[in-house]
Amino acid sequence: MSTDSFREMKPVSGPAAHGQLARSGPPEPALDAGASPTTGTGALQPAGGGRKPVRRKGLSERNRPLWMLIPGGVLMFVIIVVPLFLGIYMSALNLDQYSLRKWVSAPFIGVENFVEALTNSPLLHSVWLSVSYSLIAMLVTLPLGIAAAVATQNAFKGRALVRSIFLIPYVLPSFVVATVWRTMFQPDGVVNSALNVFGIDGGLWLNGPQTYWTLILVQIWASWPFIYLLALSGLQSVDHEVHEASALDGALWWNKLRYVVFPYLKGPLALAFLIGMLHHINNFTLPFVLFGVPAPADVEVLPILTYVTSFQSFRFGLSAAMAFVSLVLIAIPLFIYLRAVKLDDAETPGGKK
Amino acid sequence: MRFAPSAKLAAVALTAALALTACGGSGSSTSASSGGAVDGAGKTLNVLTGVNNQYPEEQKKWQSDIAAKFKEKTGAEVKFETFASANDELTRIQTSVVSGQGPDVYSLGTTFTPTAYATKAFVTLSDDDWKKVGGKDRFNPAALGISGPDSEHQAGIPFVSRPFVMAYNKDLLAAAGIEKPATTWDELAEQAKKMTNAGAGTYGLATGYKDNFDPWKFIWAMSVQAGNPLVDGDKLKMDDPTVKKAYETYFGWLTKDKVVDPAAIGWSNSNAVAAFASGKAGYLMMTTSSSIPTLDKSAVAGKYAYSIMPTTAPGESSPKGDGDKAASILSGDNVVVADYSQQKDLAFAYIELITSKDEQLNYQKIFGELPANAEALASLTDPKLQPIADAAGKSKATPFTGAWGDIQLGLLNVTVQSIPDLAKGSVDESALESRLKDAQSKGQASLDRAAKS
Repeated sequence: MSTDSFREMKPVSGPAAHGQLARSGPPEPALDAGASPTTGTGALQPAGGGRKPVRRKGLSERNRPLWMLIPGGVLMFVIIVVPLFLGIYMSALNLDQYSLRKWVSAPFIGVENFVEALTNSPLLHSVWLSVSYSLIAMLVTLPLGIAAAVATQNAFKGRALVRSIFLIPYVLPSFVVATVWRTMFQPDGVVNSALNVFGIDGGLWLNGPQTYWTLILVQIWASWPFIYLLALSGLQSVDHEVHEASALDGALWWNKLRYVVFPYLKGPLALAFLIGMLHHINNFTLPFVLFGVPAPADVEVLPILTYVTSFQSFRFGLSAAMAFVSLVLIAIPLFIYLRAVKLDDAETPGGKK
Repeated sequence: MRFAPSAKLAAVALTAALALTACGGSGSSTSASSGGAVDGAGKTLNVLTGVNNQYPEEQKKWQSDIAAKFKEKTGAEVKFETFASANDELTRIQTSVVSGQGPDVYSLGTTFTPTAYATKAFVTLSDDDWKKVGGKDRFNPAALGISGPDSEHQAGIPFVSRPFVMAYNKDLLAAAGIEKPATTWDELAEQAKKMTNAGAGTYGLATGYKDNFDPWKFIWAMSVQAGNPLVDGDKLKMDDPTVKKAYETYFGWLTKDKVVDPAAIGWSNSNAVAAFASGKAGYLMMTTSSSIPTLDKSAVAGKYAYSIMPTTAPGESSPKGDGDKAASILSGDNVVVADYSQQKDLAFAYIELITSKDEQLNYQKIFGELPANAEALASLTDPKLQPIADAAGKSKATPFTGAWGDIQLGLLNVTVQSIPDLAKGSVDESALESRLKDAQSKGQASLDRAAKS
């Protein structure tokens, strides 16, 4: 169904016709043109002879209960939009423990905080660490999650058990995951003892350059079930007929997977990639509990940096500027990506079902 | 998304502001008393204090007891609120500071007091106010060292002292032919070497290099004892040779003297306590009286004693400056009264009660923490506590500046970034110097901001 042809019509005034078209309520019985808005546009053209270029609402758009957005919208406004703008305002203030009490009248210093954040703080290094670690963790978890989903797609004995076990890392609180791993990664902990058996010196996991890989490893362990879940939901949406059809065509399992099943996973996995990346970049608990504060320089990721700036150095203004800069830095690729996958537009013609 | 911390703060501020408007009608009137007994009938005093993880049940009991006594004395109720971590406390204070309402009385750690003071949200006590809490001279003079920038401007009222000492294993010292615990850091290293037997897993010293606080306390102590107060007016002296020497000594226990378990690079203080408790260490460094319950239930029960830590800097033969008064950082809890409080007299009356001799001794008996009340401190007779009480008198305050939080973080960060080198067996001198230089410039920037405001 398309309403595009209406837009091409020349505007000719006609109060009655105008009124009829603008309203999207129940059509008046006398006008048969209005009674069948979905039967194609061709029938309408001669009847009106020319109408206002009003975009006709589609069937699924009519009578939308938009008021249902109000509760969520109000909460969004109070909890996200207002603080966001307060945060932006704070980033222009010289706000620290000395001026906190009268924070509204803290000295206004314009972009100084931004200049300091960009030129004289580890911010850019942190951005690089955050993004690269998130990307590596994501690229490893994707195949892991897909493989696990494919493996548990068909029923076998004990599948329910395996599926439940797969979800354990996902349901454990981050704090618990990090604490357990921290214990295992001690210099004389079980990880190094196990490596010693094979004659490998594990070295330091919680300090020094290796921490970067420690963080990635634990992040992978904790987050692959999320990919698995979304991949599984994608697999469930593959119609039975598709499997049959491909079997009739003689496709072997790899070809079937590659050309028939994976296209179905594109949508859910794109979503998983996006949410997963944001989740990794925002993950504070994991690095905080694993490495403590001050963090080793190799894992001073964004959330840790903003935390230390805010709550150890009490530079609230600077920290707000840092948060804002990193928000922008992350929003740019996010925006491009969203446009590319059109995740937000399920009704686009030709889009995946 | 990424704006979490600032957004959170702002959200908190907003919520607080909303709450403020909502509660506008119910604010209590100012206390009308003038000297003498405070009449608090029908009023409620809100007290924010840290949760005691070691003795949670006892804490609840103590709170209800003290509330009953307070009610008897003034007719007012006390409502206790607890925070679980320093971070909780900070958030609570920030919220209250921004919104101008919240608890009337706060309990603060000593090292956090300068930061809290810098917010100007708490009452700086006048002579009159001091009288209301029982007079300044009821307190151990050393405990007042971190109540304010000078003796005329003090906001923190000492409640308990928690000085740092070292514990030693009497058997191990005797077996190595050591008669009494070391009083200089050099002597300590020598004694530790005698007690170390790496083959048997016994080491001279137990200390955690990955602890979030201990490392900077060592560096601070050794520097101060060498005559460098770290903060001199508005100059930071972290690039001073004394500081470098302190780090070299502290790292040297592990890399040169080899008197510390190599695993200690991953230890926090509690790991060190456990190592000492199993009888595998001669000395347990940087501990407090709160280790008594653990040690009394361990393999070293009855075999250990406390001693004040050395007060002679490494390489020196006697303490320099006021080094002999720097056996420990001034540690413990202060109570402060919020500036926005509508019932300050009631708050002072509460503090008068909890800092009285009897209550302080009672508190010591239950929780093991030393009284800040001078008379109560003097009346302690337990020989095990004697060195700890000594240390309470020989505690020196860390520099009183709002920049201290940053400086402390910088000191700690030098250790954190050096741990990989420690694991390899030696800390490169030039690497240490560049870390110190970095810490110096960041700390100095923070001091400059403190000076400007």
